[in-house]
Amino acid sequence: MELFLQRLADGLSQGSVYALMALGLVIIYRGTGHLNFAQGEMALFCTYVVYQCGEWGIPIGLALPIGMVVGFALGAVTEVALIRPVAKKSPFAVFIVTLGLFQFLNWLDGAIWRDQPLPNSGVGSVQQQFPSLFPSKDTDFITIFGADIKLQSVGVFVLVLALTGALFLLFNKTKLGLAMNAVASNAESAKLVGIRTNMVLMVSWGIATAIGALGGVVFAGINHNVNLTLMFTVFIYGSAAATLGGFDSPGGAVLGGLIIGVIENMAAGYADEWVGQQLKVGVAFVVIVVVLLVKPSGLFGTAKVERV
Amino acid sequence: MTMPFTLRSGGAASWALRLVAGAVLVYVMFWIPTQASNGVIDTCITALTLMAAAMALNLLLGYTGQISIGHSAFFGIGAYTTGILVSRYGWSPFQTLAVAFVVAFVVGALVSLPALRIKGVYLALVTLSLGLVFPQLIKAPKMEWLTGGARGLDKTGFKFTKKNPTYEIFGWNPWGNLRGENVKPFLYWIAMIIVIIVYLACRGVVKSRAGRSLIAIRDNETAAAVMGVNLAVTKGLAFGLSAALCSLPGCLSAIRTGNVTPDSTNLTVLGAITFLIVMVVGGAGSLWGPIIGSALYVFVTDRTGDWSDKEAIPAVLRPFFGWSHTPPGSGIFAVVLIALMFVAPFGIVGMWHRVVRRFVKVVPRPAGTGTIDTPATAPAEA
Repeated sequence: MELFLQRLADGLSQGSVYALMALGLVIIYRGTGHLNFAQGEMALFCTYVVYQCGEWGIPIGLALPIGMVVGFALGAVTEVALIRPVAKKSPFAVFIVTLGLFQFLNWLDGAIWRDQPLPNSGVGSVQQQFPSLFPSKDTDFITIFGADIKLQSVGVFVLVLALTGALFLLFNKTKLGLAMNAVASNAESAKLVGIRTNMVLMVSWGIATAIGALGGVVFAGINHNVNLTLMFTVFIYGSAAATLGGFDSPGGAVLGGLIIGVIENMAAGYADEWVGQQLKVGVAFVVIVVVLLVKPSGLFGTAKVERV
Repeated sequence: MTMPFTLRSGGAASWALRLVAGAVLVYVMFWIPTQASNGVIDTCITALTLMAAAMALNLLLGYTGQISIGHSAFFGIGAYTTGILVSRYGWSPFQTLAVAFVVAFVVGALVSLPALRIKGVYLALVTLSLGLVFPQLIKAPKMEWLTGGARGLDKTGFKFTKKNPTYEIFGWNPWGNLRGENVKPFLYWIAMIIVIIVYLACRGVVKSRAGRSLIAIRDNETAAAVMGVNLAVTKGLAFGLSAALCSLPGCLSAIRTGNVTPDSTNLTVLGAITFLIVMVVGGAGSLWGPIIGSALYVFVTDRTGDWSDKEAIPAVLRPFFGWSHTPPGSGIFAVVLIALMFVAPFGIVGMWHRVVRRFVKVVPRPAGTGTIDTPATAPAEA
């Protein structure tokens, strides 16, 4: 029972990170219908920015907003300068541009900060480890039904719930959210009724990348480390979560992320002979394939009707 | 506007141009292993490896329009088939090529099954996760007895001993010195043969009825099905063949380095992305695109390989790249890729065609089998 609760808590905190990544993917997909393959690397760039702020002595409470603002700017500029002009040509071109951005940002991070800037690589760094948003020492846990649950896990989970609530308000109670919904359901009509679709899309990309940045910082905090391959698997889990929840449903993305986090940890824990830590990523693969084959619209997405 | 030059496809001038280009190509092909230094030969083998992989991917992505970011897995299947058979069962490396081809074909055809329903970027997602799962599968504890786990396998290349003879033709030894460590020309020829095989296979498919059905699927899947293209079989064959061809350079990498590890770049997702990027930069959907893209990529990364050291950068470029901790090769290529999407979506080859068409009027070979002087007769109106 204790073991089960512990794994559940670990799964939920990991799943929270996947949920954040999936939320970013979904917000972009709703707006423009594109799958942003650079989402993970954009988040990683912002995570490195937060790391750099830490090097300059800025506390994490202030560095995180800075990172998210950088993320917003990065997302908005990407949409305006790269995605929008190419989207007119073909969806394939957008795919290639996001892939190019993936490669470019991964290189840029390495070029500026090296692969592993924290002390374990021997490169001079002021910080001992990546700053965590929540207390993360070995003694920081609470005991529930005999299981030691890390405060960090609780904090991350609460953070994601709060963010989901805020996004719910944004989507349903504000003018901007209404405009985003209108663009998501029909961009042409939205334009006709006077919604500035270009601005809405720019803001969507900005918000998505800022949320990704938050995810990256949280994940680096859980791992106490930041490196160039940090976001590869997180991106694929996030995509699996978005697939499971439905690519146009933010609530589904969060739920999908949490479900996948839990499944992954349970599979790694209870089937450690077969799955274990090595093959955890196989869970994402199986979820993506099965969902796309059986119910391509996911749990909460709207089914797409294809016209020939 | 009249063009300054006219070129008849299949005419004498066109054949002369082809002959000259072919002669230059063959000259370079022989010059490298016989005259160039070992370092250059080594770089060329790297380029040839990438060429074969990118060409295999081109068959699937450029011609059939099925996006794959998981070709590193097929590359890895080749490397591990050779590795396991040579180091554990003592096969000769050449024999393993055929086995790798068959294994990768079967796996590729299996991957095509979900591709019958999953399309576009979703398929990219599936193949991306396949590429991420593959190295983990190799490392899994249950597989360790076969794959050697994270440490990988060693002694997967040729065993050259003092007994190996050195072949000479009138004082010229085409394989290099097989007695010592100096076997680069030998490996170069293996790589070259693999590239030629992959090129001929791609060319044979593309210029045939099968190739036309691949292109039909790429351009409009529904229309292709209506026209009588069997989607399931054609896609299965395209996936299988592409995977099988991609496994050959994988075998080569195992033979060349003498060991296989799950973390070497070409076996991870970054490798798959590199295959894709060089192919698109060179020109997706053209036979020479991947070749040119790979050659350029290896040239740039080789030239800039030591640029993490400031002193190695030419003085003119030092202000641009001096701050970088890593060699700028992949960054430069990513920028080129994005820029190409704005100006020339069909890559360098597409751009070349556009420039040439401005000065040279190319008269295509008339449809049908007639000679160039007798234009194909239009079917009589009923």
